[in-house]
Amino acid sequence: MSIAIKKESGFGTAQIILTLSIGILVVFVAFPVLLIFWNAFFDSNGSFNITDVVKVLSHPETYQALLNSVIIALGTTTGSTIVGTFFAWLVTRTDLPYKKFMKGMFLVPFMLPSFIGALAWKMLLSPRAGYINRFFMDSLGFDGPIFNIYSYAGIVLVEIMYLFPFVFIQVCGALERMDPTLEESARISGAGLGTITRKITIPLVLPSILSGALLIMLYSMAHFGTVAVLGIENGIFNIPTLIYERIHQSAGSFESIRTGTVLATVLVFSAAFIIWMQNKILGKGRYQIIAGKSFRPMELKLRGLKYPLLILCLAYIGFTIILPTVVIFLVGALPTYGLPFTWENLSLENYKFILFEHKLTKDAIFNSVTLGLSAALITMFAGVMISYVIVKMKVRGKGILEFLGMLPFSVPGSVIALGVILAWSGKFGINLYNTVWIILVAYIARYMAFSLKANSAALEQVHDSLVEAARACGATMWQALKDIVIPLVRPGMFAAFFLIFLPSLRELTVSIMLYAPTTRTIGVAIYTLNEDGETVTSAALAGIALILIIVGQTLINRFSAKYTNKR
Amino acid sequence: MRRRMLAMVIALCFSLGTVAQACAAEKLILYTSMKESLIGAIADAFTKKYPDVAIDYQSAGAGKLMAKIAAERQSGQVLADVLWTSEVPDFYNLKEEGMLEPYTPSNFNELVNPFKNDYDGSFTAARLGTLGIVYNTQQVKNKPEQWSDIFKPEFKGAFGVADPALSGTSYMSISLLVNQFGWEFAEKMAANDSKIGKGSGQVVDDTASGELAGCIAVDYITLDKIKKGAKLAYVFPQEILVVPSPVAIIKGTPNLSAAKKFVDFLLSKEAQIIVSEGGTLPVRTDVALNPGIPVSSLDEAVQRSIPIDYVSILAEKENTIDKFKKIIQKK
Repeated sequence: MSIAIKKESGFGTAQIILTLSIGILVVFVAFPVLLIFWNAFFDSNGSFNITDVVKVLSHPETYQALLNSVIIALGTTTGSTIVGTFFAWLVTRTDLPYKKFMKGMFLVPFMLPSFIGALAWKMLLSPRAGYINRFFMDSLGFDGPIFNIYSYAGIVLVEIMYLFPFVFIQVCGALERMDPTLEESARISGAGLGTITRKITIPLVLPSILSGALLIMLYSMAHFGTVAVLGIENGIFNIPTLIYERIHQSAGSFESIRTGTVLATVLVFSAAFIIWMQNKILGKGRYQIIAGKSFRPMELKLRGLKYPLLILCLAYIGFTIILPTVVIFLVGALPTYGLPFTWENLSLENYKFILFEHKLTKDAIFNSVTLGLSAALITMFAGVMISYVIVKMKVRGKGILEFLGMLPFSVPGSVIALGVILAWSGKFGINLYNTVWIILVAYIARYMAFSLKANSAALEQVHDSLVEAARACGATMWQALKDIVIPLVRPGMFAAFFLIFLPSLRELTVSIMLYAPTTRTIGVAIYTLNEDGETVTSAALAGIALILIIVGQTLINRFSAKYTNKR
Repeated sequence: MRRRMLAMVIALCFSLGTVAQACAAEKLILYTSMKESLIGAIADAFTKKYPDVAIDYQSAGAGKLMAKIAAERQSGQVLADVLWTSEVPDFYNLKEEGMLEPYTPSNFNELVNPFKNDYDGSFTAARLGTLGIVYNTQQVKNKPEQWSDIFKPEFKGAFGVADPALSGTSYMSISLLVNQFGWEFAEKMAANDSKIGKGSGQVVDDTASGELAGCIAVDYITLDKIKKGAKLAYVFPQEILVVPSPVAIIKGTPNLSAAKKFVDFLLSKEAQIIVSEGGTLPVRTDVALNPGIPVSSLDEAVQRSIPIDYVSILAEKENTIDKFKKIIQKK
């Protein structure tokens, strides 16, 4: 157990690994985040200055934005929890037909970027021109639009569609793992379905529901895309969009960055509060009754409701997944926005244009793919190393490492972007602003936590005795690592790679704050094309992004299935 | 496996950093706010004429480009050799700061020059952008004839203007209209529930889709969409908004001769034909006007245009935007 800290030469492999790990986390993660607080509370002369903070905070726009963030987050969380829990129950505990297929479909929104969804819904439900609204007004004779997507309700509904899987997956897991004997014994003792649900099922899955719900709240508070697409024009801002707007309008002046840091601090504190709640709730009621063994839970017979509920599920899937996707592809095939979908109007011209001719979109695809690959590879290797220190090494202060590594998990993307601007724009010797490197640095900071999670999990399964045996046989520390540990954690490394590569392909929140004319990413290109009124080009690029993401995800599923079978 | 991956990382890092650059004798980097359709054609024609100059352009909004130039100035070297945008106040600023290399194009006498008294060669208009009223022909039956027609019920709740904080041309047009007709112009717009959209392109697309019935729009964006079949019409009231797009050479550029070649080329008949075909007014009288722009001659357009006082427009920018937004959003 004590090999890791055995001081052989004063500067062995262990020391190098430790120093590097701390160095990477401090430079990439801790420093930028600390700079946010420093910039929020200290002015350019370096003296403590709270008046600017108060000034920004007392601005009506700030608390309106905070209020909007809270309203949207609460609405989204409540809605997603209800939708997610209901569908989870339906696919795990009832005799609904095609359950497996349904479960797969309900997880699809996980991989769809919500800002693309927001674009699709804008096309479907904008008050005067949305296809659904038009249909109701032109064909069914309605006087006005049936729904205005440019509203709080619109934003919340779109977010629910794309975030509910967080609750769904947690609750599915809990319901599947739950020991059915508990419910059975209650039933034998004479309890009705209502009592069982109320007294046994709900208390048992409550922690899962809550943890999923808090995850959604955390995500929604800090969410940029949907609000940016559906809210900004109509004056609905949340904190991340307000930060973006401030910095964008003034082209990145010091004052605007300062305002941004104060807003970012507000966001960080809200996130910290949510995480604190999460720990408190989850720490309190650890129900050990959910066992790891797999049971076959009893299924409720739906009887007459079977087919109505099946139709409901299919309608939900069709309405929230298929319809928006189809609209994106169709609009992407139009020569210009506003024309009807007739055969003469549809063509693949836009798709050809963005893949082979348009410099901006070609650059964007190239940037996103190389950035994603680079960030995923670098973060994968750094993640193995840091996880090794955290999981295997017995050194003092590694708790700090763990905290630092997980920090970006709770720090919203726009905050990371701001921190990276502060840290890497020349004030400390290196100027990466307006280059592609600053986006890479931000991706590394943002996705480090993903890599640590995957790698730690893999490392925890490698027993210390293996390394000890190697060392006892005379292998050096480096040899033991190279020949034993790394081959064993390879699945964790692959998992980390893909956990980072795919999300970074569709990243928007961070890159929108950091892009320069030639360093657009796919997300930024879709967003700016839409802002520039190139709706059809933007939709076509979104379509291509969707294809990339879906193909990528399918390959991964194939690959990981094969890998686990081999083991 | 691991070594191969390491090699991949290194290779990727290099490929990210290096930009493939053709081995030409001279290089030229152009920052422009012109859209791909226009700048792409001009760059192609330029390469054909001067094959030994490798031209590379970055097309983005004027604000984004100015931010990039500001950042590059801080780090000591501005990458751009030539700047061509529609944000005239930026050029006055840069000139003030001594950032521009004065160069009077060799063909200057053949050009229409909107900067009459201020002209000293620091920047030269390479295009005369116009803004007019665009309306959706399926929703609006009566063609708007004058600016006050946008206060009519046909446009109630459905007339848009691009966000002046995002779009330079939008700011110019608002500033001109308010100077010409007074702030009651904005108040009447507000009374008719006019809207502030996002970028100058998005209001046109929203009009094409029917989300808006009409908007204040830039010529070439609109004409491009009409060409593709959008149900739009582009009209000028009596007073036309004409916003020049200046081109300037950045001081201290190592590629001065290539930059001069480009500026001369941009103002030549050959390039101005591309500009005109691209859907905007050229700066040469010997180039045929785009039939989509509803004026009979360049002179007529200049005469009907609302005069611009660039110096005051520059000073009042923030106040004007604030006041306009407050009025329209009824705050």
